[in-house]
Amino acid sequence: MAFVLPLLPILFAIAAAFAPRDEHGRQRFWLTGLTVAAMALTAFAAALGAAGGWTGHIAWHEPLGLTAALPPLAGAMAILVPLIALPVLAYAAFHEEGRGLRRLVAILLIFVGGMELLVVAADFLTLLIGWELVGVCSYLLIAHEWRERENTASGLYAFLMTRFGDLGLFAAAMAVFSATGSFSYDGLTAMEGTPAVVAGFGLLLAAASKSGQLPFAPWLFRAMAGPTSVSALLHAATMVAAGAFILLRLEPFLASVPGLPGAIIAVGATTALSGGIVALLQAHAKRLLAASTSAHYGLMFVAVGAGYPGVAFLHLVAHAAFKALLFLAAGLAHEKTGSYDLSTMRLGRTLPLAGLLTLAGALSLAGIPPLGGGWTKEAVVTAAEHFSLWAAGAVILAGALSAAYAARFQLSAFGLPEEKDEDDEDAGETAPLWPQTRARQVEIVAMALLALFVLLTSLLWLPPVRTSAEAALQAVLPEASVATLVLSLIGVGLGLLIGTLIARQHLTFGNDGPAAEAAHWLGLPALIDAAITRPVLWLSRAAAKLDDSLIDGGVRVVALGGRGASWILRLKGEAGAEGLAAQATGLVGLVSLATSRFGEWLTDGLVEGLALTVGQSGRDARRLQTGLSHHYYAIATLGTGAAILLLLGLS
Amino acid sequence: MLTLSILIPLLASLGLFVWSDGTKEKARLVALSASALSLLCLIVVWIGFNTGPEAPAFQSVAEVGWIDALGVAWRVGVDGMSLAISLMSGLLFLCAIAWPAETKGRARQYYGWFLFLQGVSLGLFLTLDLLVFYVFFDLTLVGMYFLICRWGHDQAEYAALKFFVYTLAGSLAILLAILGLVLANGTLSFDMRELIATQPLGGTDLRSSFVLFGFLVGFAIKTPLVPFHTWLPLAHVEAPGPASAVLAGVLLKMGTYGLVRIPFQMMRETFAAYAFPLAIVALVAILWGALVALGQTNLKRRIAYTSVNHMGYTVLGIAAAGAMIGSESVQTLALSGAVTEMVAHGFITGALFLIAGSFYSRTGTYDLARYGGLARVTPLLMAAYFLGAFASFGLPGLAGFVAEFQVFAGTFGVYPVLAAIGLIGLVVTAALFLMMGQQIFFGETRPEIAMVKDLKPAEIWPLSVLLAFVVLIGFVPGGLLDMIQTGSAFASFHSSVGQ
Repeated sequence: MAFVLPLLPILFAIAAAFAPRDEHGRQRFWLTGLTVAAMALTAFAAALGAAGGWTGHIAWHEPLGLTAALPPLAGAMAILVPLIALPVLAYAAFHEEGRGLRRLVAILLIFVGGMELLVVAADFLTLLIGWELVGVCSYLLIAHEWRERENTASGLYAFLMTRFGDLGLFAAAMAVFSATGSFSYDGLTAMEGTPAVVAGFGLLLAAASKSGQLPFAPWLFRAMAGPTSVSALLHAATMVAAGAFILLRLEPFLASVPGLPGAIIAVGATTALSGGIVALLQAHAKRLLAASTSAHYGLMFVAVGAGYPGVAFLHLVAHAAFKALLFLAAGLAHEKTGSYDLSTMRLGRTLPLAGLLTLAGALSLAGIPPLGGGWTKEAVVTAAEHFSLWAAGAVILAGALSAAYAARFQLSAFGLPEEKDEDDEDAGETAPLWPQTRARQVEIVAMALLALFVLLTSLLWLPPVRTSAEAALQAVLPEASVATLVLSLIGVGLGLLIGTLIARQHLTFGNDGPAAEAAHWLGLPALIDAAITRPVLWLSRAAAKLDDSLIDGGVRVVALGGRGASWILRLKGEAGAEGLAAQATGLVGLVSLATSRFGEWLTDGLVEGLALTVGQSGRDARRLQTGLSHHYYAIATLGTGAAILLLLGLS
Repeated sequence: MLTLSILIPLLASLGLFVWSDGTKEKARLVALSASALSLLCLIVVWIGFNTGPEAPAFQSVAEVGWIDALGVAWRVGVDGMSLAISLMSGLLFLCAIAWPAETKGRARQYYGWFLFLQGVSLGLFLTLDLLVFYVFFDLTLVGMYFLICRWGHDQAEYAALKFFVYTLAGSLAILLAILGLVLANGTLSFDMRELIATQPLGGTDLRSSFVLFGFLVGFAIKTPLVPFHTWLPLAHVEAPGPASAVLAGVLLKMGTYGLVRIPFQMMRETFAAYAFPLAIVALVAILWGALVALGQTNLKRRIAYTSVNHMGYTVLGIAAAGAMIGSESVQTLALSGAVTEMVAHGFITGALFLIAGSFYSRTGTYDLARYGGLARVTPLLMAAYFLGAFASFGLPGLAGFVAEFQVFAGTFGVYPVLAAIGLIGLVVTAALFLMMGQQIFFGETRPEIAMVKDLKPAEIWPLSVLLAFVVLIGFVPGGLLDMIQTGSAFASFHSSVGQ
């Protein structure tokens, strides 16, 4: 039954491919209806499944098979994914370009299906299938505008970066199988020693690459080449979320692997801090959000490493809601100004309602009480405190950075313009609150839905809601201490101040100078390029050359030796060797003919002296070519016969 | 029934050679129906195939005496492995024959050679007699030699010759090894079943080592493994599309099939002793094949080199399964992966080479730099290419993944370090296929190829049949795995499980 969840979106994706072709308006309605129905149905099924504890098994051949299960955290995740995807997909159907829209929507639906598959997975084979499906969908989506080579190159970059991490998952699956004889998650608890270490660190590698953690973080920037709705979905509920999800899903096992929790926290905290700095330095709206995604998934890693998967999950929920909202907002701003440059936006008057809705997301991103993001971030601080004070300090600092770039984003994108520009009609007057065109209305409704989710996450501040969440997720949530809360709030306050300052005084901060270099993931992409990409490409070209010259050259040298032998044979054995020897010479001659055509460079020195022989064997070769096979078979039969006779004689 | 599936194409081939006034259309029709009939015979065998726990080592066995004094006879029969590979081969031949080929005015001969090749290829997989195996092994060279030489591109003669002479050297090594193996047996017999049962050579003494070495070198050339692979790219580049498809899809499998059937099954102890070096060679093939493929600028050469990579996975699985290390389930998985890879690779590479043929027939070039932006004009071709490419680099839900996952999971239990290193091949193949696809299909459409047409119906259906199986095996591999793991090749695992 649990396999219904991934199957539903995929079936709807097939239906989306059959949406009407021509009429612009009708197609968009079709696709919107389809996606909303698909996501609502999937969310409903997920709710049923989570409540009913659905499982599933599809046998291939023992020990291979697909199994699915919905323990509390997976069940909650299975509901979350379609709920976030619903507004995002509806937005996509109206916001994105008409060309290739069906393809876009269909792949987005498969994307959700793949995500659901990896969420319901209860063994590594199923996980791997979902995992890779999500990866390839992200490739297709990022490269959606394939006419630009730049976009497809970005898609490839993202795909290869994450696929490299997938090797960790392969390694984990192999280690689990060799240790337990099955691919099921159930066997994990019994594992120890080297296989456990391989599995644990393999999972970390896979999760880090998927979730845009260091050193894989740069792929999230390249992923910006995709349409806005792709970014929104990719960052909030699919793909990137997969990394954090698999860690929190398998947390009890990860905690048992020596050294692993510390490594997870180290990766998460480093990414949270550097991601925060990178985000603050961005004047590009989507990049700012992308870097902040890395940073916030870093926080989830910290929570998992500290042993609080429930906290990580709640932060994932809060993040999903506000990040999807902010991306949709960035898309609207881009629509209005034609660029993602924050310094040219200030759309507070032009898009008042959008600005207001975005405010909810930005406040949550900043971690300000009483919004949901605030509570979950405090919970991460508390969780980290249980591991070490350093970790908690890092999270507080990351929170401050988060507040700073949230303020920069909100005030730059949807702040009020400083002075009225008389020439510009749009900027001059306040636009109507409720947009006029259908597309704008759908976009606003989608954003309103997400804003509603953001507000719903705020309920976490209420203790009764918290206890029921604890019960439903069967996960422990830590109690915050006053001291860290105060420290954390001071950090947020400072961050807000800095962010406001940048948005008001230094609009283009990060666009030039050393800040611009740092803004590009602190030089990491250049390092990857210089240390991995270019050497591999160089190596492959060198290998191709080597293969042609050295290995094949070796073969040609053998043939050359044969030619030499044929020459000697000719000199010596002319008289008596009419039969077999001539045939052998002919064969060798054929080889030498072959050599002479391609291997000129090898033979330059020898050719002069051998020219006569080559000519001769060439003529021989041509004469022999038609009858080659039967001559050969004559020899083969003779040889076989002789060998058999010999053997018979011996035995 | 098995004999029929071999004889029908051979007889039809003979008919085509002597039938002097056949037109191209008629010749094609004859070839298609003979090929389909042959496949049908195999399907009948498949329907009657018992995959239960009590299944015998070989099924549908037929035997006709021939040279009793030497223990040579016409013996045919299938286990799961050979049945799966023959079915794949039969289907691939049908698709390759159906492919609209440029026959250069010699249609009868073209289809005749194709049918001949189908007959001898199936014969090789179905026979249970070592000598007959060897004869078929060499006859396939003849068939392929003529297909490349006569219907290939510019340097076809040179390529065909190199292919022929090189693989002939390999088959001579096999002949010597076969004789060595048979003579070590108490009674003179070329019956595979008997040789499997008696295991005439064991241990690592000089004689056994030499015999094994002969087999390994011979099959390594055919497979091909690094460093014996350099005949492959040339032969592929010069061969016409359908011949390339068969060369990669069927002929390369003879190397790995032979490896399992003969040294792996008949000399288990010796094979186990040398499994580790073989696994290392396979690993080198995986990495080298992928790396060199990435460095190619000719699209057909690039696909050709990925075969080296994929056959490396297969040999890695075989070596791991034969090493007699690790649990039964691990070894079963490794061998099952290797055989699945043979079947999957046949479909996938077959489809990819047919697609390469489509490129050539439209643009007349394999040079990647001259492609760009084809997505706009040939969306179907693009869909087919990407499906094939995804399958080839092991994307889940497609056949390649099922195979590679098993190979790696199985090998890890035997040689964990080799398996872990081999994983890198997965990233490189993904890179090279996607980069190639992007170069061909994306970006602005180049004006000189902006007028090419999308796939014709005659190209669509063979491709969709092949790709349908790629998807089918990817989603529901259960039936295939059941079949593969039945019978002789896996018997050693099952028997020790039973004990």
